Order: sequence, then structure tokens, then C-alpha cells
Amino acid sequence: MIRAVIVMNDQGKPRLVKFYDYQPVEKQQELIRTIYGVLCSRAENLSNFIQADSIFGPDARLVYKTYATLYFVFIFDSSENELAMLDLVQVFVEILDKCFSNVCELDIVFNFNKVHTILDEIILGGQVLETSSSEVVKAVEEISKLDRASNGSMLVPKSISGWTSR
Amino acid sequence: MQANYVSGGCGISLMTLLQINVHQSETGLFGTPIPDLFDHMFQAGLTPYEKKKYVWKMLYIYMLGYDVDFGHMEAVSLISAPKYPEKQVGYLVTSTLLNENHDFLRLAINTVRNDIIGRNETFQCLALTLVGNIGGREFAESLAPDVQKLLISSSCRPLVRKKAALCLLRLFRKNPDVVNVDGWSDRMTQLLDERDLGVLTSSVSLLVALVSNNHDSYLSCLPKCVKILERLARNQDVPQEYTYYGIPSPWLQVKTMRALQYFPTIEDPNTRRSLFEVLQRILMGTDVVKNVNKNNASHAVLFEALALVMHLDAEKEMMSQCVALLGKFIVVREPNIRYLGLENMTRMLMVMDVQDIIKRHQAQIITSLKDPDISIRRRALDLLYSMCDISNAKDIVEELLQYLSTADFAMREELSLKAAILAEKFAPDLSWYVDVILQLIDKAGDFVSDDIWFRVVQFVTNNEDLQPYAALKAREYLDKPAIHETMVKVSAYILGEYSHLLNRRPGCSPKEIFSIIHEKFPTVSTSTVAILLSTYAKILMHTQPPDPELQNQIWEIFTKYESCIDVEIQQRAAEYFALSRKGAALMDILAEMPKFPERQSSLIKKAEDTEADTAEQSAIKLRTQQQTSNALVLTDQHPANGTTPVGPLSLVKMPSMNNVDHNLADQGVAQANGTLTVVDPQPPGPSANVIGDLLGSLAIGGPPGTATQTEHNSGSGLGGAPDTEDALAIAPIEEHTNTVQPIGDIAERFLALCLKDSGVLYEDPHIQIGIKADWRGHHGQLVLFLGNKNTAPLVAVQALILPPAHLRMELSLVPETIPPRAQVQCPLEVVNLRPSRDVAVLDFSYKFGTQVFNFKLRLPATLNKFLQLITVSAEDFFPQWRSLSGPPLKLQEVVRGVRPMSLVEMANLFNSFRLIVCPGLDPNANNVVASTTFYSESTRAMLCLVRIETDPADRTQLRMTVASGDPTLTFELKEFIKEQLISIPTASRAPSPVPPHTQPMGPPQAQPSSSPAAVSDPGAILAGLL
Repeated sequence: MIRAVIVMNDQGKPRLVKFYDYQPVEKQQELIRTIYGVLCSRAENLSNFIQADSIFGPDARLVYKTYATLYFVFIFDSSENELAMLDLVQVFVEILDKCFSNVCELDIVFNFNKVHTILDEIILGGQVLETSSSEVVKAVEEISKLDRASNGSMLVPKSISGWTSR
Repeated sequence: MQANYVSGGCGISLMTLLQINVHQSETGLFGTPIPDLFDHMFQAGLTPYEKKKYVWKMLYIYMLGYDVDFGHMEAVSLISAPKYPEKQVGYLVTSTLLNENHDFLRLAINTVRNDIIGRNETFQCLALTLVGNIGGREFAESLAPDVQKLLISSSCRPLVRKKAALCLLRLFRKNPDVVNVDGWSDRMTQLLDERDLGVLTSSVSLLVALVSNNHDSYLSCLPKCVKILERLARNQDVPQEYTYYGIPSPWLQVKTMRALQYFPTIEDPNTRRSLFEVLQRILMGTDVVKNVNKNNASHAVLFEALALVMHLDAEKEMMSQCVALLGKFIVVREPNIRYLGLENMTRMLMVMDVQDIIKRHQAQIITSLKDPDISIRRRALDLLYSMCDISNAKDIVEELLQYLSTADFAMREELSLKAAILAEKFAPDLSWYVDVILQLIDKAGDFVSDDIWFRVVQFVTNNEDLQPYAALKAREYLDKPAIHETMVKVSAYILGEYSHLLNRRPGCSPKEIFSIIHEKFPTVSTSTVAILLSTYAKILMHTQPPDPELQNQIWEIFTKYESCIDVEIQQRAAEYFALSRKGAALMDILAEMPKFPERQSSLIKKAEDTEADTAEQSAIKLRTQQQTSNALVLTDQHPANGTTPVGPLSLVKMPSMNNVDHNLADQGVAQANGTLTVVDPQPPGPSANVIGDLLGSLAIGGPPGTATQTEHNSGSGLGGAPDTEDALAIAPIEEHTNTVQPIGDIAERFLALCLKDSGVLYEDPHIQIGIKADWRGHHGQLVLFLGNKNTAPLVAVQALILPPAHLRMELSLVPETIPPRAQVQCPLEVVNLRPSRDVAVLDFSYKFGTQVFNFKLRLPATLNKFLQLITVSAEDFFPQWRSLSGPPLKLQEVVRGVRPMSLVEMANLFNSFRLIVCPGLDPNANNVVASTTFYSESTRAMLCLVRIETDPADRTQLRMTVASGDPTLTFELKEFIKEQLISIPTASRAPSPVPPHTQPMGPPQAQPSSSPAAVSDPGAILAGLL
């Protein structure tokens, strides 16, 4: 089971945090800080794995991948395959890239709601839900469409047309 | 950076608030406006859009680490919004913020259910996502059937069905009963025929969860899994969007192989053959390529295939192919694959006999210790640790020692611990072991725990051959200019004990030894000072004839520290000073330390414990657990007939302590491996004992070690004196007939133990079972001491506890074999759940020679053990007594046929059961009033009051009133006291008539038929006899 997905920037600021086993908010922050402490000291061209049992308790594994200014971190237990998780990180990023055409950190900050929606289409309850990027993009677009359709009928003066205005 | 992030919704609101570079702290944006946000959220008349906006913001500040419980309600209420956008926000935010036990979720459960059973697929998706993320037991009970319907429905879109599959998985985890095995296994099989790979991926995840719980019922899924694998491996009917870097859905392949690992074996030859074909294809057809992502994906599949091959116990050929592959992996450039290669080698060692093949890669693995990546270095260390055996221990440990000086701090502790364990487990000779540990302390003193140096002292003390060598080594280390404090401790200790063995060597006269140790004195901490003082006293003792100069020097130090602020040091200084003036008498008191009782190394135990904790919960783990543990521990060979021990270590094979009878075959394999096991007579006891022993023995006791020695030799660690004069009195209570006659009366021993906390429970010519108990509240910690009295081992030892319903008892593992003249300690935990008089029974059996002996013993975990003293004053007693009025809390009974006894005897009897008599409370001098507190899990601490009204004219009858806050307790306590009052000692008057009391309640099993008090109270016995 995947226990958490964390995206943070190279200064340790969380950009997306989702825990699939509940942690109180202080604990979440503590974990994020600890992980950042380990990640920022790692050189390039090392493996993508970190011993996580001292951080998350026995049986926990951690893979991370760095993209420009962002760390993508997945924490999971031994029932998942490490490399498959690493592939999933890659899929997640590819999907973000498709949705935001050339994604950057700011996209994730400003479309934080959309990133959450995308993640929910990839992982559900700590299990891999969908691995095909085109399927995920299709599902997310559908949600955006619904969003727009419904907003259009609202009597809100300004245009709040959701995701796909980009 | 993108210019056109001018989107709607939150984007805009963030922008307007932001207006600055995002890299400036968000706290300016989100942190300070929390009060604003709070106000906003509780404004009346918010448009749904505004509500939505604030809830999103709330999620954002939650991510930044702020508690947003003020907004939980808002988020939950959005779930029931009619419009999709609000609903979506409500669902998503709720499932991120709340946990499954949150009360607010109950409010939403109806809406969620309506959305799931409704016709709107988009709503269904939202609801399923919420339940799949945070659904708890309540959701499981009310929603599982609906979710199952969605999953198997043919009219639903794949998008809904795959979510339903994972949602069901969550509900199953929360409450396994929601999936009815009989009905569902067929459905599950059908689900695996699914064409849509998205639904199939989710379904296989669901299968993994189901199978890990109960693989038998899902056997029909096994061929389907193989079919899926074949379909993917051959790339048949795999849509383009599910091909990832040219590989047909690596996730599905991995998951399917994972599912297969939960089935113990594959029996059907056809299925097995086709599976092996696929696996062979994967093993052979994977190459390292340029593209990192493709590499990762293909190797994800490959490593999973390796794991599956290991699990299936493939043919030797395929295995060596796997090892060869792993050997290739650990040298590739790609760090991820190196990492996993090392990890899988370690895993492979755990499950099968490939040690020899892996040893060929030893050099490469050692190189990996110097990898730039700490993750890889750690894996290499793990692998070296698990591949170490007696043949390569020297190389590996020396390599680890060398690495220690350059290793990063994060690893040093683990490294030194592992080196110490390996050195102990596989030492080819003990002087090497001493070398290693001293080097370890020298190189990484800060990371060497006390356990490690205590252990080396134990070895040196117990092996005479080793003592001069160790002393010499310690002396050498002291010459170094700067040494670690631990080194000071260990060398001072060893030199204090054994420096006289070095006497004739240059630089080793007592004076020189003293001065070199004393050089370190000013820099050490108080705990070391204490050790140094002992060392000085010992040096003084060994200097014969006394050297006045040295004597004065040392006395001066003692005098100085007589006024030390630290009590321990002060006491030592004062005592040593006084003792050392006694001249020859000193010799007796300060003689060499006796041998330590042997026990399992606390280090090895620690290592085993952590292994047990971290091993993965999978099929592989289950199999490893069934294998024998090959831990090497040390035995002591006690000179049975006065001869001195021959070798320092005797190597004996010890069968594993767990699951012994299930895997004789495995044991055979393990033995064939050639790993040596040394028996330790002491099973894992509290590891603190080692420390206690050492520290205890550092201070001067009475005549050295006689107590320990005799205790140890007699094979019993107990104070309880075996009353051998009763040897012929056989008490066949609850005892199976066997050819061995117990020594002493078992019933009497039991009764005696009802009153005291330690003593002998059972003894026969072969074995002595002692018991030692510590009772705290409703918890009891018992230790069973199983002592083998023979010079041959006792085998097939089995101890089974038959606890009554009110006690929860946990006996730690009892070793199958008790080595000759050894004693084994087995801790037993007792928790008292509710009041009851029933008694637990120990069913014990062992085999000596060819005969099997079996007997059942009552364990002295009786009602009175859970009583604790309390003194109640008259002011407290009477209000309590009055407030407990009448049955069932207060029971009264006239008891006849009471064993006549005086009031003083009765008071003594009560006090011995910790029912404390409160004299003077009752104005009538013929009455006895007592109070106590009873502890159990259900009642907690509960005050009990007892009043006995006696009739001075007829001592055989009395009226008894018992009161407490719990009806069962009152009844049980009343019956318990009654039993004590009317019963008659059985020991001397053989078959006594059953006392005329009736037992209206409670199973009669193992009821003591005689009174413990009777034995303990000589007055009572006398009274009974008269």
C-alpha cells in the first residue's frame, strides 16, 4: 500500500501532501521536514531509494525523484514493488506535464486543486488506480468539463471557468 | 514559468491575494489570513462558489501545517451540495482532511450511500473515492453490498468499476466479513477475465488483499493470474495506452506476480509449466538499456519475477540463473538496480541455500560498501551481515572494521553492532573475538554500546585460557596516547582481574599497570571512576608481598574519594580502604570474579528481535519464520565431575525455538548447511540481566560468588529450599502416572507458592521447575526456571499453559532442548481479567533417554495474588461498609465445619493472603474485620471488606460477610475465604474427606482441595491435628 505522496520544492516547502494512512497535521509536518533533511543532502546520480524505516517505522520504503525544483516522494510498504513505484512517479509527472503542458512548480501551486484531482485518478486509498496516462487525462478532462458546465449556469458574474482555460 | 496561469477559480483568488512572486513565503498569503478565512467561512449567505473557494484554501493551509478543524464541517457539508463542482470539492477535501473515525463522517454517510446507489456515474466516482480513501467500519457495514454490485455490474463504465474494486479493498481491510468468501471467490475469478486493463489492475490489487487473508478459497484465481501474465508477456491484446516504454503494463505484471506469491505452491503441472515459461522469458529477455525509465519499468518486472521464482522454489538451474543475474546487477552502473540487486540477494539468502553461490560475489559486495550512495552501502552491509558464516567471518568482519574508520556517522552504530554480533556468532577462536571487540572500541568507541563490552568481559571471565591474552591486549591499548573511555573501562576491568597473570612481562608490574591506568583517571566520568577504584583494590590485592609505596598511593586515592559526592564512588572508596587494611583477609573478599552464568547474548537477541520486527509480511516472510533460526549462542560446559572445561567454546547444535515440531525437514537442511550452533542454556531473558550481573559483580559482595556458584550448579536460581525429607510423600493430584517419582509433595509445594512468590514448583530426578513471580496490580510476571539435573540433555521439552477464562497468560518460547546441567528461564506474563478462583495449569512434558514424562501442575496464580495491602481507618471503613448494602455486593453466610482456630491464628491466616486485618475496628472482640484491594482488568482496583463474627462457644462455626463494589468479586472472594477456613491440610493426613462445602458456581477444575494457609500456619496445623 502507498502510505503517502509528497511533492515539495528544493527548499522543503510542501506543494502537495496526501497521506493514505491518517497522520495528525503536526506529525505530517515533522515527517516532511525529516524527509527533506535526508533528500537535500543527497547528491545527484544516486539511487532513488532511501531507507525509511527510521522515519516511518518498520517496513516502510521511500522512493523519490527530482524534477527541476521539485522532489516527488512516494512512501509505501513492502507489498509494493520499488521500481514500479518509481515508474508511477514518472507517470504522475508525465500526466501533470500533459495537463499543464510543460509543468512547473508554479503550475502546481496555482492549480493545487487540479493536482489533487489528478492524483485521485491515479491512486485511490493507497492503491494504484490507473497507470495509463491517457486514461487519467481523459478522466480529468471529463471532470473539468462538468465543472465548467455547471459553473456556466451559475449566476456568478466573473468567469470562473475552471481547469481548461489554459 | 508559465505566463498564462490566469485561470478561474482558486487560481484567480490566489492571484489577487498574491500579486507577488510565489517564492516569497506563502505565510504572508495563507498564514495570516487564517482568522479572515475563519470569519469568511462562517458568514451567512456565502455563494456556493465562495464556499468552494474557501474550502480549497483551507486545504492549502492544512498542507502548510495549520490545523483547520474549524472548517471540517464546511467541507463535509459541501458533499451534499447538489451541483457537481461543490460536491467534488467537498468529497476531495473531506477525504484529505478527515480520518476514518471522525464524527462528521457519520453526517455524510447517507449522502455518500445515495450517491453510490444513484444513477449519476460522476457522483458514484466521487463517493467511491471518498470511501476508498477514508471509509471505516461503519462504511464497510452499510456500503459493501452496493460497492460489490457496482464492481460486477456489466453496465457500469470501467472508470466506476475500477474505483469500486479499490473501494471494496478498503472496506475489506476494515472489516473482512463484508466479503463473503463462498459467494465472492467465483466472482473474483470472473473479474480476472476482464479485458479492460484499468479494471484488471484494480481487481488484481483486490485479489492480493483477499488472497493474503485466505489463499485456499481463491485457488481458482491462480490459473487466471497465470493467463494474465501470459497475455501481457506475449503482448497480446494490450492497448497502446497501457504500454509503458514498450512494456505492456508493468504494474499489472508486477501485481499479478505479487498475487501469485501469496499462494503456497502451484500444484497443477500445466499451470506451473506455463508460468515458468513466462518467468524464463522475463529473466532472459531483460537487458539494461540507455533509457532510465524503460530500465526501471523492465527491471520492476524482472525483480518481481525473481521474487516469484524464489517463492516457487524453482529448479536448481533456474535458481542459479537468478543468482547469476543478481551478480550482474550489483555491478551495473544504474544505482537503482545495484541497490535492488543487493537487496534481493539478501532476501534470497533468507529463503534458500545459495550461500555458496553468493559468496563468489563477496569481493564485489565489499566494494559496494564504498559506494557513494548511503542507501547502497546500507544494503551491502545488510547483505554482508546475512551472508556471513564461519568460513568467511574473519574476512567480512575485518573488512567491516576497516570500513568503520571511514564510514559516515549515520552508519557507524549499525556497523559496529553488526561487526560485534558477527564476531561473536562466528568466532573461529576467542582471542580473535577479543581482538575484534577491542579494535571496535578503539575505532568507534562512541558507537559501542555497553552490551558489547560487557559481553567481552563475560567471555574473558569464563575462559581461563583467554585471560592472559586479553590482559596483554588491554595493556597494549593503554599505551596509546588517547583512548576512548569505554576502552579505559574494559581494560581497567580486565587488568584488575588478570594483570597478575602478566607479572613477569616487562612493563606489567603492578606498579606500572597502576600508573598507566591512573593516567586516565582525571579524564573519566564517574561510572568509570567506580570501575577504576575496584581495579586499584584488585591490584593492591594481587601485589604480594605488598609494595608500601603503591599501597600508599592507592590508599591516598581511596581516602580522597571517601568524601566524593557520588554515593557509589564514596561507598567503594570507603569500603576498599577499610578492606585493604585487613591484610590477608582481603584475598578472600577480592578474589577473582566467579564465572558468569551463561546466557544468550543480548546482542544476538536484539538482532533477532529487530529482524523479526522488520521482516516483511509476505509469503516469503512466512516461510522464513518456519525455518530454524541458526543463531550461534554460547554454552557453558559445567564440569560435571570436577574436571575443568576443555575448550573455551563447545559447539552444539540447537534446534530452533519456534515451530520446532513442524519443520524437522528444515532443520535437516539447516544442519546440512554446516552452520554451527552453540547452545545457550538460558533463553532470552531480560537483556538487562547482563548488565545487572556485571555491575553487580563489580562491587564487592560477600565471599566471592559462592552464592552464584552454588545456585548455578544446583541448576536452580531460586531461594526456595527443596524439602527433600518429604521425598516419599506422593501427591497424585492431577498428575499423570509416569515412571518418575516427583521429589517432594506437589500439592504442598503449590500451597506454599500460593503464599510466597518464589520457590520450587516441581522436582524429580531429572528436572527441577522453579518459579519466581512478581505481582503488580492485575499484572503478574512469572519466570519458570527449568533446570536440567542430568548430564544428558532433556529433549522434546514442551510446556503448555492451560489458562482459566479469567486469566490471560502468555508463555514465551520454551526451548525444545535443555542442555545438561543447564537452567532455562521462561518468562510468563499473566493478566487478571476478572475475579475468579480458578487456577491455571501447566502441562509439561519432556523426554529423557527414550522415556517421555508428562505431568500437569497447578500454577500459583491464585485469587489472593491479585490482592494488595490497604489499611483502612475506621472513618473510611464504616461509610464504605454501609454504602455496600445487601446482595449482590454484600454477601453474608453462616459457615459451619470451620477448622477451629484462635482469633490470632485467623488473623495470621488472613494477613498471609494479604487480607489485612484491621484490629480495633469492630467493638466486639470476637469479630475479625479485614480489608484489601483486588486488581483485575474488569474491576480495576477495587476495595474489598470482610467481617467474620465468631462464636467463642463454638469455634467450628462463624458468620462471614464480604463486601465489594463488584458482585462477582464479592462472591468469589467469599468462596475463596470459605475454602481457606474450612479446609484441612492434606499433606500429612492423606485422603481427607472433601470438605463439606458446596460450590454453587464456577467450574470446579483445578480447585485447590486443601488450604495453602494450613501449611504455612503451624498453629493451624496443630489446631487441625488436635
